[in-house]
Amino acid sequence: MTMNSVGRLLNILDYALYALRRKLLKNVSVFCLFALVIFFLSSFLLVSKALTEAAQRILATAPDITVQQMSAGRQISIVASAANELSGIFGIEKIDERIWGYYFDESNGANYTVIGMRTPFVGSPAALQLGLAEGRLPALAEQGKVVISDNIRQHLQLGERKHFSLFRPDLSQAGFEIIGLFDKKLEIITADLILMTLADARDLFAIPEGYVTDLLVYVANPNEIDTVARKISDTLLGSRIITRNQILKTYKVVFNWRSGLGTICLLTALAAFVILAWDKASGLSQEERKEVGILKILGWQTSDLIFLRFCESLTVSLLAFLSGYVLAWVHVASFDGALFRPVFLGWSVVRPVFSLAPPFAVEDLLLVFTLSVIPYLCATAVPAWRAATVRADSVI
Amino acid sequence: MRPSAGLLGVLLALAVLVSGLVQSTASKRCTQEENVRLLQGVVFHLGLSDLALSTEARYTRHPAISDSVVVSMDHPGAIDHFPSTFFWAPIRR
Amino acid sequence: MLIDLEAVTKIYNQGQINQVSALRSVRLAVAKGEMVCVQGPSGSGKTTLLSIIGCIFSPTSGRATIGGRKISRLPDHFLTLYRRELIGFVFQNYNMIDHLTVLENITLPLIPLGISPRVREKKGDLLLEKFGLRHRKKFAVNQLSGGELQRAAIARALINDPPIIVADEPTAHLDGILSLEVVDMLAALKKEGRTVVVSSHDPIVSGHPGMTRIIEVRDGLIMPNIGKA
Ligand SMILES: Nc1ncnc2c1ncn2[C@@H]1O[C@H](COP(=O)(O)OP(=O)(O)OP(=O)(O)O)[C@@H](O)[C@H]1O
Ligand SMILES: [Mg+2]
Repeated sequence: MTMNSVGRLLNILDYALYALRRKLLKNVSVFCLFALVIFFLSSFLLVSKALTEAAQRILATAPDITVQQMSAGRQISIVASAANELSGIFGIEKIDERIWGYYFDESNGANYTVIGMRTPFVGSPAALQLGLAEGRLPALAEQGKVVISDNIRQHLQLGERKHFSLFRPDLSQAGFEIIGLFDKKLEIITADLILMTLADARDLFAIPEGYVTDLLVYVANPNEIDTVARKISDTLLGSRIITRNQILKTYKVVFNWRSGLGTICLLTALAAFVILAWDKASGLSQEERKEVGILKILGWQTSDLIFLRFCESLTVSLLAFLSGYVLAWVHVASFDGALFRPVFLGWSVVRPVFSLAPPFAVEDLLLVFTLSVIPYLCATAVPAWRAATVRADSVI
Repeated sequence: MRPSAGLLGVLLALAVLVSGLVQSTASKRCTQEENVRLLQGVVFHLGLSDLALSTEARYTRHPAISDSVVVSMDHPGAIDHFPSTFFWAPIRR
Repeated sequence: MLIDLEAVTKIYNQGQINQVSALRSVRLAVAKGEMVCVQGPSGSGKTTLLSIIGCIFSPTSGRATIGGRKISRLPDHFLTLYRRELIGFVFQNYNMIDHLTVLENITLPLIPLGISPRVREKKGDLLLEKFGLRHRKKFAVNQLSGGELQRAAIARALINDPPIIVADEPTAHLDGILSLEVVDMLAALKKEGRTVVVSSHDPIVSGHPGMTRIIEVRDGLIMPNIGKA
């Protein structure tokens, strides 16, 4: 590009900015609307990105394989001795038993997750203090000792009290003592957890001796997970096998699905907006027509005039794009996507506190750009071309 | 200053703002890194399969290990949760 | 010859029901430094003739050479390039853009040439000075009187320093004294060595002593010489 053509571009851009300033109110409202749409679109994208990525990272250490028993199409307890049948399968490192249930607290409508485990309590205690803000984990032989989250403690309205009770299915009460609290930093996974020994959980849910809800299978070589999973399902008839990959995939799908839903709604808004842009750009008033004619006769090329309109559209859309995008980052990174959390997380009584930190990806930026700025430019292109082809002799 | 220079300045400022936000979020992610390792440890030891994002029922608290039909039967307070009221088919594994 | 038209025909809306033959096989030659008055009744084809001379459109048929450039059958893009280089326009209705200032209006032709704002302002100042409009520089054009507007329009026509000035009924909206002032200015441009083609049915224009030739157009045809030369 020669010096002169740079000068031409800048001159025409100047002229375009004057033109925009002249219809300030109109252009500012278009800008605001456009920025709002882009803000919503990119916020959605960033929230879903942040959640998906958090799930992928945090659940990277989820059990390799979870085994459950099915009956009549529903999940039921599995007999713990099934683990013995699996011991013959080559590649299995260890198998944990677990009782995993839900406790509905009628007094406040909250749903707690109860985990009864054996293994962590016999392992090295130092490693297992990890998740606790205070206190300790129950020992294998202890009875009625639990670790809960601070969130649950508040829901149970315990204050400084350490004892509470839950109802068994026969409505008799099972008493518990809190001996540990999960760290608040871990709320994203522990917000609704009540951790107890396997025996206590079995007692609370009245699960028969020798039964658990699932078996967690750890495989020595990650490449063999699928093979081992197939062998398990051949061995335990009527069982359901869930691998870690499926877990991670589910999260991807869940958030893609929600952000897809949101995006569809927003695309409708965007379409409406583009129609508005078209409408705004296509109405050529008598005054504008005269202006184009004068400019043409004074030596402006059709391409100069198309470029002039292009500058106007590009200025509005780029400013709106960048402003909307900046606001979206502030919204998601500083306010944790407050506006869209309900859409992504649904409703809940027990709600974890956690902060979002979306990763930056160029393709997201480009996606929002292609979904917003490009349609806007396209919508204004045809009217711009039509306006620019007003004939020079129309003003003489 | 000519208006076009002003515009380019504003665009540049916004671009810098974007990169600043991205940068600060990136450093926030770095400080979270330690917490993530802690979380991974808890996930490993308790054999967790899901995040506690919304905890109302097995199909929201544990989408990863729920049946696709559990929506229809699970939540004590849920009345209208039949598949026919859903827009989309359940997730295929 | 600076302007050379040979068998030039212009047909509007060719092949349609509202087809009009505005010029019919016109032949005209204007030498450098001439000041020519085109006169004729309304609808005779004066504006059409001036448009072809002014490189606004090319003739439907025939040969037109302006400033040594053949403009017959040329795409608009090239016509515009020649127009920038060769022609300055003055219009009957001034054709100013209302929401711009006088200075901005007269420097409009320099914008697509990539000339910087500072140089544009300098060039504009010189011309405003020359036409006594310096004090109106930052005025919006709708605050100007008709005479001032036409002076500004002549200043704008000169901004590219063109060899040919085309003025289509420049005095139609002005009273006698102002008309004379405008024709005097056009005659002064002739003295500078520019070629001036002006259309008018105003005797103040056709009778001006600076006029070298008067051309009569009737119904798309140029009548045999009637005045001067
Ligand atoms: N764009 C156009 N489309 C169709 N017909 C046109 C067009 N411009 C002019 N004409 C017709 O061509 C003929 C010559 O018009 P032109 O404008 O050249 O006349 P004129 O001599 O300038 O008239 P006036 O003195 O009223 O300005 C007229 O009959 C007019 O109706
Ligand atoms: Mg006319």
